[in-house]
Amino acid sequence: MTPDSIAEVSELDQASDTQDISNNDLDVAISVLHKLINAVKQQVLGRDDVIELTVIALMADGHVLLEDFPGSGKTTLAKALGEAIVDSEHSTEAEGQNKPADYIRPFRRIQFTPDLLPSDVTGVPVFDSNSNDFHFRHGPLFAHVVLADEINRTSPKVQSAMLEAMGEKQVTVDNVTYKLDDLFFVIATQNPLDLVGTYPLPTPQLDRFLFKITMDHIDRESELDVLESYKERRDQVQQKITVSRDEVVSARQQIDDTVVISLAVKTALVDISRNLREDERVLQGNSTRSMVLMLPALQVAAALRGRNYVSAEDIELLLPRVLGHRVELAPGVAALDKVLADAMRAPMEQLARGTLS
Amino acid sequence: MAADSATSNRHFLPTSLRAAIIAGSYWVVSLSLTVLSGSIGSFIGCLFACYFIDSSINRSPLNKLRTFTIVTISFCVCLLGLSLASLTTNTQILADVMAPIVTFNTGEFIKWFAIAGSLTVILRTLAQRTSVGSVLEILFVATAFVVTLSAHRNGMIHRPFIIGDYALTRGIDPSNILMIFGCGAVLSLAALLMIENNHRRLPYHFTILGLLCFSLLIYVRMFGLPTPQLTDDLGLTGQEQAGNNSRRENPFQDSANDASDKEAPVAVVVFRDDYEPTNGSYYFRESAYSQFNGTMLDYTNRDDMDQDLIERFTSARLETEQLPKAVDQRTAVRTTIGMLISHRNPFGLESPIAYENRPNPNNLRFKRTYDTYSLAPEYDFNYLLGRELGREDWSQEVWDEYLTIPDDERYTQLAESLIANLKPQYADDPFAKAWAVKAYLDENGIYSLKNEHAYETDPAGSFLFGDLTGYCMHFSFAATYMFRSLGIPARVGIGYSVPASNRAGGSSLLIQAVHGHAWPEIYFRDIGWVIVDPAPQQTLVDMTTDPQNSLQQLLGDMLRDDASFEDFLQSQQTSFINVPLLLNILYFALLAALMAGFGTKYYRRWIPAHSNLQNQYRLSYRSVLDQLSAVGLYRKFGESREQFAARVSAIAPSMEIMTSQHLAQALGNADETHYSQQQWRQLRNTIVQEIQTNAETGKKIIATLNPFSWLLSK
Repeated sequence: MTPDSIAEVSELDQASDTQDISNNDLDVAISVLHKLINAVKQQVLGRDDVIELTVIALMADGHVLLEDFPGSGKTTLAKALGEAIVDSEHSTEAEGQNKPADYIRPFRRIQFTPDLLPSDVTGVPVFDSNSNDFHFRHGPLFAHVVLADEINRTSPKVQSAMLEAMGEKQVTVDNVTYKLDDLFFVIATQNPLDLVGTYPLPTPQLDRFLFKITMDHIDRESELDVLESYKERRDQVQQKITVSRDEVVSARQQIDDTVVISLAVKTALVDISRNLREDERVLQGNSTRSMVLMLPALQVAAALRGRNYVSAEDIELLLPRVLGHRVELAPGVAALDKVLADAMRAPMEQLARGTLS
Repeated sequence: MAADSATSNRHFLPTSLRAAIIAGSYWVVSLSLTVLSGSIGSFIGCLFACYFIDSSINRSPLNKLRTFTIVTISFCVCLLGLSLASLTTNTQILADVMAPIVTFNTGEFIKWFAIAGSLTVILRTLAQRTSVGSVLEILFVATAFVVTLSAHRNGMIHRPFIIGDYALTRGIDPSNILMIFGCGAVLSLAALLMIENNHRRLPYHFTILGLLCFSLLIYVRMFGLPTPQLTDDLGLTGQEQAGNNSRRENPFQDSANDASDKEAPVAVVVFRDDYEPTNGSYYFRESAYSQFNGTMLDYTNRDDMDQDLIERFTSARLETEQLPKAVDQRTAVRTTIGMLISHRNPFGLESPIAYENRPNPNNLRFKRTYDTYSLAPEYDFNYLLGRELGREDWSQEVWDEYLTIPDDERYTQLAESLIANLKPQYADDPFAKAWAVKAYLDENGIYSLKNEHAYETDPAGSFLFGDLTGYCMHFSFAATYMFRSLGIPARVGIGYSVPASNRAGGSSLLIQAVHGHAWPEIYFRDIGWVIVDPAPQQTLVDMTTDPQNSLQQLLGDMLRDDASFEDFLQSQQTSFINVPLLLNILYFALLAALMAGFGTKYYRRWIPAHSNLQNQYRLSYRSVLDQLSAVGLYRKFGESREQFAARVSAIAPSMEIMTSQHLAQALGNADETHYSQQQWRQLRNTIVQEIQTNAETGKKIIATLNPFSWLLSK
């Protein structure tokens, strides 16, 4: 390559950078995204992909189901995410009617056990002898980030209360409905191996989770890093990165407004779903809702890569996480990856070809 | 198990197609090497092996065996089959129980079944197990057709009969048809191979292969197949090795009379004048054995002998030094002769008196074409009676040469005893004496292509005083010696003798290898050389052949080179597809395709510079894709644009920028444009430069030449 052409390329790079920066709204949203991710990365090492997906789910107003072994950093991740979002002081007059700052916490953790009751999760009306009246004591669901640990260990009754909260962003106690925060985000976990005495979540309930993320053990270097930097993190030497709740909510709105999902991308999604449903290796395909839920996630994923349009990359990244727990395979078929790859090939090819016509 | 049967069902069609193609090439190869039963054996053996290997290569026990083991076992099976075949043919009992011919057919069947079966097993195993194997398989099929094709070049235009006859009667070169079959077979195999490995590349590669085969056809059509220099394996005298007069081979050897190709056409004769032989056969004399060289008769080396022969080809007219006599008993016949295989001397209808070269109407078909002028005999027996012998201008030496025989008294004794019974009025008549000798040979001789006298010092003596079993050489030598022992000047004429019935009323006559002949001749003073040909009444071989009337007519018309030949071809073609027109259409289509390919290629490269900004994202990206696919980098099926850009970033790093710009407009907001015309142009040029810098030189050359590279960009 001649020096001239190198110069040309760098000029082009700059040109494209300036072009992107001109899109201000999206850029603010992107910086919020990166802040969140970096905040969690400070605390959780070697799980960049999971952090990214979790933040995508948070921004896309979805919930995440983590499948992992104990002690692999789920709680740390959820806690770091919750603590990275702080309440902004000046936001009360705008949308504060429903959420007095006193009972909304950045982060809550619920350990699910078989004897847990729905009221333990949602909150309960208690009698106040001073005012001679019942008033509602808010349960742990009233938080930005809720870690539902071992969600499959509790009874279906509690699970359904949990799922109402996730689906409707509200809890109903004694026929009174309480609104949850707009930013309500659940990270549920379940242990894939220790299944004795559990109540496995049925498919429709799984459908409420945007992603199911299966985590593997982190690699050697990262694990060593965790041990090395353990002290710093415990003593919180580093300055914490924080994002205000309003920033997150408005970033959500900006991404939703700015990032374009073309018809071709939607076509590809529908075609993939149809292919999956027709595949004889698949017992039950994914729901339409899953595709609807996926759209915001795709937008966030695109924004995370600095794009203002959704591309094939985003589908490839998210589809396995979105469909992993929604598609039921026929008995004897083990490899979802392969089934998914077969179902995706033709629609993705059509999506790629479509850009030239 | 259900999945298993589904798999085998899916493989059934390709397996059958491949089996049919390979079996077809076995059939083609076996045609020239064996009889019908052998061909059937090879066909069945190949089919069997194909299905066997394709169905059980992945099952126990074959999947446990190593490739080498399977190949070794196949070899052993092949050897076993061959020994079984030879056992079948060589065992007396089988031949007694069944007819000998059935035994022979069974043996051939077993032999070819074993050869084809084991070879196919080896080929298929290699193809299934190794990557080279499939290429070997394709090579085998190609070779099979090429071998047959080269057989065509030797003038064996009749094989395979179905194709040969069909094509020749329509004026098409059968080699073209065979070549089309060969190309088709190779193409189909290659296509099968590609389908099984990667079905997505099929159309592109199939186009390229097809073009290659098509260009081969065009080459052959324009320049013809290279013709071999020498063909000396057919016919009795089809030898052109040297100009010297010495005989190269022992004429009494059986191989000289190998009947395996007895129907092979040797020459075609067109009669320009009416003539019908009185004795039932047309004789064409090429040369003669007349001088005794101490062991047997040979070409003469004396200038004053055999002056009636034409001993070389010339470009000018050549007349014999001596003319036959008794012109009133002869009729002048002009014949045009087209030699399909080379000969040392020109031959002509007895007795040739002049030779004149003729322009060859078809270089591919005829080795040589010439006219001969003959004074053909029309006299009868009575005319020959009471004639004197020898030519008046012969010197004593010449007389002696024509009377020399081996130093063996038995010739004289036998000859004397044969003429002892002649009626008194003929006792001194030369022709009657000769006839008595001929009659003896007719009655007692046994015609056979196998003989036991080849390596005797005097094969003719061994024949005559032994079992009297031999072929024309033995009869003519024996007769000549006996004629000479009786004082009759005689020699052995060499050439062809064709039954008059073969002419079948037409004006042309096909000479086949089986017609090669030798006969005794005696010289009468007022007549010339007269053929006295013994015709043994007992024969061990069937010398009748299919006269191949259609071929005879076709070659004759071709040789005659007049309007009727064209008319004949026209009449044959009107009812059928016009092949030359079809080929011309194909050439035109090919040319058009090439032009369209290059046109599209350069249009797509040119258009981005001349379109508006709205379309730049699409056209610029496409033109860059074209250039990448030309050097072999193209997006795979199902691959996303970003993945592709990442993959080619080693060659064209700027492709990632191009891709993101392209997608931003294609998938994002189509109305907002990020780049200016100038920037798009810069980006295009940068990528082109990157490709020029980083791609291999060979690929760049191919990129320039390939007219259809843009088909791959998508």
